[in-house]
Amino acid sequence: MAAEAGDGKPQPGRRPRSRLIVRLGALLVAYSVLVSVVCCIAGSVAFLLLPVLAKNTYVSENALMPGSANPMFSSQDVVEANRFLKEILDRGSAKVTGTEIAKLIGQHVVDVGAELYYHKFHPHGNQFHPLHFFSSITNTMEMQYNSSCTLFGLNSVGIIRAPRGDGKEAIVLVTPYNSQNIGQSEALSLGLAFSIFSLLSRVTWLAKDIVWLAADSRYGEYTAVDSWLKDYHNPLFLSNSGKIGTGVCFEENILHLLDQLKVKGPRYNIFKRAGTMAAALVFKVIEKKEKEERDSLTIYAEASNGQMPNLDLINIVHYLAVHRQGLRVKIGSMHSLLKAAWLKFVGEMLQLFGKLTKHLNPKWKFDITSAEYVEGTATLASSIYYQALGVPTGSHGAFRDYQVDAITLELSPRFSLDNENNRSAFLLRGGRLIEGVIRSVNNLLEKFHQSFFLYFLTAPHKFVSVGVYMIPFALLIAPLPIVSAALFSANDNLGNSTEKVNQEPGCIGSSDMELRSGSWKWLQAAKVVFMIHLWAIIMSFLPYMLSQFPLMTPIMLLLVWAALSICILLIFYLIFGACSTHCGWELLKSVMIAAASTGLSLMSIINFSTAQIGAMLIVPMCLLVQPLRKQMQAGVCRKAVLVICNLTLAVVGFPPVALLIAKGVCEGFGKAGVGTFWELAQLLWSWNSATYLYLLWIHLPCWVLCLHILLYPCIGRSSKA
Amino acid sequence: MAGIRGYWNLAAAAIAFRLLLLLCFPKDLHLGSRPEVATPLTSLRRLAEGYWLKQASMSPYSGSMYHGSPLLLSFLGQLTIRRVEGRPPHFYCSLMFVVVDFITAVLIRATGQKLLLSRHKSFQVLNLSKLVEASGIVNPGDFASLVYLWNPLTIVTCMGSSTSPIDNLMVVMAIYGACSRIAPLAAFGWVFATHLSLYPIILIVPVILLLGYGLDAPPSKLFLHKTSDASSSCALNQSPDNSEAPKLTDNAIHTFSWVQVLHFVLWVFIWLCFVLLLSSISLKDVGGLSEMFRKTYGFILTVEDLSPNIGVLWYFFAEVFDFFRNFFLIVFHVNILFMILPLAIRLKHRSCFLAFVYIAISSMLKSYPSVGDSALYLGLLALFCNELADMHFSFFLFCGYIGVSLLSPVMHNLWIWRGTGNANFYFATGLAYACLQTVLVVESVSSMLKHDRMLRKLVKA
Repeated sequence: MAAEAGDGKPQPGRRPRSRLIVRLGALLVAYSVLVSVVCCIAGSVAFLLLPVLAKNTYVSENALMPGSANPMFSSQDVVEANRFLKEILDRGSAKVTGTEIAKLIGQHVVDVGAELYYHKFHPHGNQFHPLHFFSSITNTMEMQYNSSCTLFGLNSVGIIRAPRGDGKEAIVLVTPYNSQNIGQSEALSLGLAFSIFSLLSRVTWLAKDIVWLAADSRYGEYTAVDSWLKDYHNPLFLSNSGKIGTGVCFEENILHLLDQLKVKGPRYNIFKRAGTMAAALVFKVIEKKEKEERDSLTIYAEASNGQMPNLDLINIVHYLAVHRQGLRVKIGSMHSLLKAAWLKFVGEMLQLFGKLTKHLNPKWKFDITSAEYVEGTATLASSIYYQALGVPTGSHGAFRDYQVDAITLELSPRFSLDNENNRSAFLLRGGRLIEGVIRSVNNLLEKFHQSFFLYFLTAPHKFVSVGVYMIPFALLIAPLPIVSAALFSANDNLGNSTEKVNQEPGCIGSSDMELRSGSWKWLQAAKVVFMIHLWAIIMSFLPYMLSQFPLMTPIMLLLVWAALSICILLIFYLIFGACSTHCGWELLKSVMIAAASTGLSLMSIINFSTAQIGAMLIVPMCLLVQPLRKQMQAGVCRKAVLVICNLTLAVVGFPPVALLIAKGVCEGFGKAGVGTFWELAQLLWSWNSATYLYLLWIHLPCWVLCLHILLYPCIGRSSKA
Repeated sequence: MAGIRGYWNLAAAAIAFRLLLLLCFPKDLHLGSRPEVATPLTSLRRLAEGYWLKQASMSPYSGSMYHGSPLLLSFLGQLTIRRVEGRPPHFYCSLMFVVVDFITAVLIRATGQKLLLSRHKSFQVLNLSKLVEASGIVNPGDFASLVYLWNPLTIVTCMGSSTSPIDNLMVVMAIYGACSRIAPLAAFGWVFATHLSLYPIILIVPVILLLGYGLDAPPSKLFLHKTSDASSSCALNQSPDNSEAPKLTDNAIHTFSWVQVLHFVLWVFIWLCFVLLLSSISLKDVGGLSEMFRKTYGFILTVEDLSPNIGVLWYFFAEVFDFFRNFFLIVFHVNILFMILPLAIRLKHRSCFLAFVYIAISSMLKSYPSVGDSALYLGLLALFCNELADMHFSFFLFCGYIGVSLLSPVMHNLWIWRGTGNANFYFATGLAYACLQTVLVVESVSSMLKHDRMLRKLVKA
């Protein structure tokens, strides 16, 4: 790394012929200002160019063979779907209990000869697992049945055992429905799922078991799917079942429930499994207000902490939807950016530039139209935003926690669904699409591994892979170690020079002392940085404790949090503040930058998007920050620029402001209040998002340290830059 | 020269911190399953399995689960089966490791004080008392012991149900015994350390040098120079003050005391017989000594377990073709042996430092390294804080250690749990870690040599 080489620089005078890498490092360090300016600008430009550098997707795994077989889903199945739909709507309108639809599904599943069971779950409140993303799955085994036994949901699960399989792998279909109040579109998605399920129970080519989960989304889709997955992956052994006191209530309830359900056959409360999951498809039908010229399919793929399913899964869905079923495929995009004037301008510039390069050499494929660029950027921005938020965009997110690739498919029809003909055509398309996807996944010999896991989508058929999007990020954070090394070695040189003056036989003692304090003086600065980070870690646990107190509004909670954090910071300052002024601000800045770059690179592995957005805020702030008093010494023009830059960055870098801006850009500034921050923070920690940790463990301490440097009392000994 | 203020408070705080971690996090810390903390050799889970096998009258080594010493089974086995409700599974063992850590820290402190005394003595002989005053700011013993106790790596090892605290104690015991010239203790520590983890066998060189020549001192050439200087000045000035100097110098240049070494060898023999006897009693009906050697030392030397760890060997031997395997096994192990002689010649006057260098090198190249090994050598490094005050790259190494120790679990998570990374991700951190250790060893040795050069310059001036 640059820091490695950079630190080697200290005495060019003493050792004239040092190693090449050390000399290269010294060169970089000597021109650190130039290097950092160039790197930052290059990083920003490369980031803006990402939509241009996006490549077309391709199906990488040969075994998938999408669309190679004729679909078997016929109008017969559509009729079946319609019949099922009618039955549901009849039952649903009666609204006797929440179990009516489950019972109906159960009967039909048993009728087609598949296995059936009911999975009862209790909605669990959001818990705070700060390092959840980091721990293994088995850690989550202890479920807390803190809610009463009366509050529960009921998933119905059907399993088809594959005639050609060994029962070790499975494909999961999920259709969420609200058992309390079922609408036509949800009923339609159930009907579609059932018709596919009954078709699959008849086909001969299945090599993987099919699991159909009709998830009771009364308490949210995610909860239902997540608790089913938890039970699927954490078998309850007899030896430890005694420990869970709620087991009794669980058993009693489900027996009582099964009496209600009156489904004949073997015991339906036994949890059955079907091997490891190869892939999962969550699909639902949504009727949209605005009508389009074609039936459309929206794909949601973002899981927790910016994890994405394997790109091949999206590829086959896209391929089948566009080239076989003629659907219009959409993915989320940021609408506010679509109308942005500056983006259009950039797009036009790029278009012009593309034309120019094409003129120079026709082989250079750098042409992108302005509209394409704007659309790609808007899609990319939404992709980055949802990954950075770290909150899954649908119930498919629950699967990713168990390393299962899953996506949500949202089908929306062109016309109203009341028309029988339209509905049939729509069902036929949807059924064939899902059958085709299942058939492809069924062909898989291994887990999805061929294609990318780390990517951004700029269009349904265009992606930016990790190798490309890492370049802007790397360019952006490259100045950090270099500047850190430059500041450090500048300080070191100072120590060495004083030592050289003293280096006479007479005053050995003092030289030795100077040497000591000179070489290890960074420990003082490291202590300050460590203290601030420790404070931030304590801060990050406070919101959870505060949220235990009921009857407090978000604004009150936020104010209490802020007051507490400032108090604790003041206490820290009083205890440890005395030592902080001994070291110069250069050393403090150097250590702070080192900490920030470590944190950013760590975050770029956990959740790249957060790191990218964070780097765009932190890096300029860290690089530019200087004590205000020192800035006052500079010339008028320079002074004004420096002070304004520093103050702006200090305001923008404050995490709540940063969050506000991020949210404002995406969803509009209209509905932002003081309580919003608290709600946002709560959303982040309740979803175990690593972004929360990033904001509080890396971004906030970095900001506090920058403020500390800005308000630094004494002027540094040496003048840098 | 005074020790660090509030040493005992800080040490007690470190112990209290460990107990707090032990009591507050009953289940959340799954450190025992982390590859960085527990290796196949030191994992307490494996030890519990071995104990169970032995209780069932089977060889503890059957099934390639346990690879440690049979003595540890008798020693820790009882503790592993006791459970307390609401506490971590190996609660009693962890409590014992806290005590072991404390003893290690106390021994390091005692070693440091001995080193400081010897340093002062040799500086007085060399007429460098000004240097003594200047360098006496930090008491290396207190400092090193606190570094050992508060090192996050030590704390993680202590909490992480791995037996490396005991290995570390044995190594430190050997060094302490050699420094204070207690041959039985040195022999005990060396024999047990070797028995537990094999690699400390190379410590016999520094231990013998310590027993033979005494503690770390500036190169003996300096004393000779001083002697000749003093005698010439004596001849010129006839001053009464200097008449004492030659005698002191003679004391400072220790001749190799064969008596101590023979004493040590005798004790080594006694302890070796003792260990073998205990082991054979322990394994009387189940296996016997030959199986023990095969399953412990053989397991270490042939790198059978290729599960990922922070070293570099697992990746290499997972890739290498089978018919080259033996060749590369020899190459890798000889790598450590090659460095013994040159380093011993160059650093023979600083035997304690030599021991640190050996430990650092072996923990870098050993087949199943863990962070417990780095905890040990970082603690020992702090013993030489006065000599290494002007070490280069200190900041870089500090950042590197922090970065790697944070990055390594994340990469492991990415590979094993998320499935989005692959083995190369994790191996990259292992490689970076090996590089850091190399830089640390190279820089510390070169700054120690520079320190010696500076002393020579000062003496000759």
